[in-house]
Amino acid sequence: MGELLQQVVIGLASGSIYGLLALALVLIHRATGVINFAQGEMAMFSTYIAWQLVQWGLPYWIAFAATLVISFAGGLAIQRVVIRPVESAPILTVVIVTLGLLLVFNGLATWLWSGEVRTFPPSRPFPTRTLDVGGVIINVQDIGIILVTFGLVAALWAFFRFTKIGLALRAAALYPDSSRLVGIRVGWMLGVGWGLAAALGAVSGMFTAAAFPPLEPTMMQAVLIYAFAAAVLGGIDSPGGAVLGGLMLGVFLNLVGTYADDLQDAGFPIDLEGLRLPVAFVFILALLLLRPQGLFGRAAARRV
Amino acid sequence: MRRTSILIGVLATALAVALPASGRETADPGVTSNSILIGGTTPLSGVASAYASVARGAEAYFKYVNARGGVNGRRIQYKYLDDGYNPSTTVQQTRQLVQQDRVFAIFNSLGTEHNLAIRNYLNSVRVPQIFAASGARTFGTGFRSYPWTIGYQPSYYGEAIIYGRWIQKNRRNARIAVIYQNDDYGKELLAGLRKGLGRMSNRVVATQGYEVTSTDVQSQVARLKASNANTFMVFGTPRYAIQSFIYANRLGWKPLMFVNSVSSASNIMEIASDAGHNPRVRGAISIQFLKDPTDSTRWVGDPGMRLYRQIMKRYLPRANANDVYHVYAMAAAQTFVEALRKAGRNPTRAGIMAQIAKLDSKNPFTIPGVRIKTGRLDRFPIEQVQLTRWSVNRRGDGRWVRFGPLQRTPG
Amino acid sequence: MRASNTLLLALRVLGVVAFVVAIAILPSFLSDFRASEFARVGIFFIALTGLNILTGYTGQISLGHGAFMAIGGYTSALLILGRPGLEASQLEAPDWLPVGDGMQDVWTIPIAAVVAGVFGFLVGVPALRLRGLYLALATFALAVSMPLVLREPETLTGGTNGLNLFGTTEDRLTGAIDNSVHIPVLDKDLTFNDWTYYLAWTVGLIGLALAWLILRGRPGRAFRAIRDSEVAAASSGVSLASYKTLAFAISAAYAGAAGALLTIVSTIVTPGSFPVFLSIQLLIGVVIAGLGSLVGLILGALFLYYLPVGIQELADVGSLPDGLQDAAKSPGMPSVIYGAVLIVVLFLLPRGAAGFLSKLSFPLTKRL
Repeated sequence: MGELLQQVVIGLASGSIYGLLALALVLIHRATGVINFAQGEMAMFSTYIAWQLVQWGLPYWIAFAATLVISFAGGLAIQRVVIRPVESAPILTVVIVTLGLLLVFNGLATWLWSGEVRTFPPSRPFPTRTLDVGGVIINVQDIGIILVTFGLVAALWAFFRFTKIGLALRAAALYPDSSRLVGIRVGWMLGVGWGLAAALGAVSGMFTAAAFPPLEPTMMQAVLIYAFAAAVLGGIDSPGGAVLGGLMLGVFLNLVGTYADDLQDAGFPIDLEGLRLPVAFVFILALLLLRPQGLFGRAAARRV
Repeated sequence: MRRTSILIGVLATALAVALPASGRETADPGVTSNSILIGGTTPLSGVASAYASVARGAEAYFKYVNARGGVNGRRIQYKYLDDGYNPSTTVQQTRQLVQQDRVFAIFNSLGTEHNLAIRNYLNSVRVPQIFAASGARTFGTGFRSYPWTIGYQPSYYGEAIIYGRWIQKNRRNARIAVIYQNDDYGKELLAGLRKGLGRMSNRVVATQGYEVTSTDVQSQVARLKASNANTFMVFGTPRYAIQSFIYANRLGWKPLMFVNSVSSASNIMEIASDAGHNPRVRGAISIQFLKDPTDSTRWVGDPGMRLYRQIMKRYLPRANANDVYHVYAMAAAQTFVEALRKAGRNPTRAGIMAQIAKLDSKNPFTIPGVRIKTGRLDRFPIEQVQLTRWSVNRRGDGRWVRFGPLQRTPG
Repeated sequence: MRASNTLLLALRVLGVVAFVVAIAILPSFLSDFRASEFARVGIFFIALTGLNILTGYTGQISLGHGAFMAIGGYTSALLILGRPGLEASQLEAPDWLPVGDGMQDVWTIPIAAVVAGVFGFLVGVPALRLRGLYLALATFALAVSMPLVLREPETLTGGTNGLNLFGTTEDRLTGAIDNSVHIPVLDKDLTFNDWTYYLAWTVGLIGLALAWLILRGRPGRAFRAIRDSEVAAASSGVSLASYKTLAFAISAAYAGAAGALLTIVSTIVTPGSFPVFLSIQLLIGVVIAGLGSLVGLILGALFLYYLPVGIQELADVGSLPDGLQDAAKSPGMPSVIYGAVLIVVLFLLPRGAAGFLSKLSFPLTKRL
């Protein structure tokens, strides 16, 4: 039982990391209807910027804040410079452009900072202490990450619900033409959406480097796959769903690993331990077949 | 008068062009009067691009040799192509090198599957596959079927045997947990460990594989901890080795840890030490056969490492000189240059393979005492290693300290 | 009106004939090695032709076609080896698996296509309920999982090292060992590279003809109706379920044939030969190709093969300044160039090569 609980706790910690990046994916999808395959590499690149700032002597939290600002500006600039020219092209073209961005950011980070593994952050954003609750070890850092994640979901919800710019963002995404009529600068709103997602991604990247060390150019590639799955599981338009999807995925993956041996002992012919990821995918697909719009997504009405 | 001189000029030029060509008849492809072309594949893009240093370090060494006149008057041209770590692409690139670029030999291509994918082809066309950059046993043991192929480093299998033997001798109460990369590389290490443990192999109480698509191995480490093992073997790549050290500590587990040499460079251990917060790195055991570029104290006056730093500074100024893959690459390049020199003024493919089958030399980049040695029945150029222990001083700075005698890694 | 139609048809027939002739004589103008490059272009061409039916004509996104190629590739390798070949590689097939006793490589291609097609059908059934991004994830999951799944039955598939065909079988890999293939009809000997070139493009042309037959008939109309509006298609009597799964099956069969050919030209098959990036590449190729033009597909295939090769050549161009040359060889830089070129190409051709060509010369290259 203790071991099971331990695996659940670890799964929640990993899951919150997936959820954080999934949040960024959801944000861009809500704002622009595109899935941004470069989200993970942008987050990785932001993390390297933070690392570089710390190398230059800035304290961690100041570098953290500066990175958020830089990432926001960078995200906005990317939308204006790279995405806008293909705005009117088929959606698949936009998706491929984000794949191009993925390659550029991955290559650029490797080129600038080499593929070498690095430590980041040098001092921990959260205490490194652990709590021992009846034999189950809980990291204070993981609690911190989960709290920040939920805090961000709440903040996003409030932002879209109560702030003028949040409402304008939603309007621009849903009804671009009418928005233009009421004076919303739709183009810039899309840019702001990308900027926000990039800043969120930066948070996820910097926390990933702390939770899943070390920092290296490939660090977000696997996370992106899990985040994508989490976002779809939760319903691609629901921030809360994305985070819950991430947590569920994290726990589920660990449970598969934990019970793979038992299953095999019980006569199941395949060793699932090496197949955690495929098993999780099968599970998600099964859920999607029952609820094609994801667990917390709303079914879209089809337009004829 | 003028016309004849032009005519003579043209004739002379034609002769000059024709002569090396006719002189080439005896030489193998890739060899000209003043150059020798070799090739290889390496990942410059994609997930494995960190290994690119294995090609670039060798290239830097060849540039250094060329600047000093080359080998027997020939400059070494080393053309390496990006295979993106995809074996199917490795095959295509290797065919390009052999069929189009007409290289003299394939040198230092990276990866186990990747070298396996081209081994049959290269042996059928009798092109040397020299110093395949992989620790899979088969590149050392398969020479009867594949006489044109040879590896360079000690086998993963042999390395793990040494850990097993040490445990058998020095840690009778060991209960062993293993985390390994779930592929051929990890499994060879696991098999070697069991072999080296001999009668104690039943002391391996828990094993957990991980995938290269995993974000983290915390779940695996927690499961291994639950086995109550007191000895934790880490057989993986740097990313997951670092995580194993850090998660073992975070989960409050206090085993003696071993880490295989692919992941035991000092810079990796420093990251694993979590800025001095992680006591799990203390006393961790690994093996060493290359001089560690990050060990600033040990090799200060060492001529080999001085040469290394000098070459890095001159020919790879932007690269990270603390990356031990560069050292590995220069060691392999140095041995190649030596074999080429001994192959004589007119090197042939068969000639260089003959030299490579009877190597016996020192190498400035390996730890003292290691001889690069091969023989009729021995195709592991490096097979001497020394156990090494991570020791941390009062200020919290750690470094590898070698202990015990040089040992032979059994193939 | 009629006259111009006839003229159009004549021009198109002429175009196709010219294409066939060009394929037939191309190797005489190429070095032996270049032929092997064009064989790989042909493999991309086949996979793109298939993916175009699914994504271009039916409007279903697939980020998992590399997985279907893997199915085809492994099917072909297992059949070529057969039980004796597997045994020689210290592997074995379970009794229920009909791997046979070894088969000549050419005949494994149609079987690989069928097996991958059946697999595509099985994937297509649950995919019916998914649309857009959800379908993208489902197929992407397939691409990510397939290498892991194929590695797992180690005694059959050889694990991470995969299956090696070169020299482990008698001579079932045509011409690989002695680098010579005798063509009895022409009484001519081909090198292995030329042989794989002709093999790939013969399969490519057959695939193209089949695609043409499928798309100009009833299924083609149904596919296009589904793409333009599922509701409208359904209400005019098109069975969404059968046509969507049919599109999946057909396009997976093309990928299967391409995978078999990739195995044959590589003489090996490993999980690493079908990375996630392959699936992504295929989608890139289809978008670069644009919808349904032969020229577009060829350009897409050339783009996929020659962009990375071209980046490598950059590092070898003697006239480049040292700094630039070194940069092109630096780790990471090939990815940067690849990504940047991709983005710029899409800026210039947002609707792919076909979109551009149809603007340029609408009547000639209208549709496949």
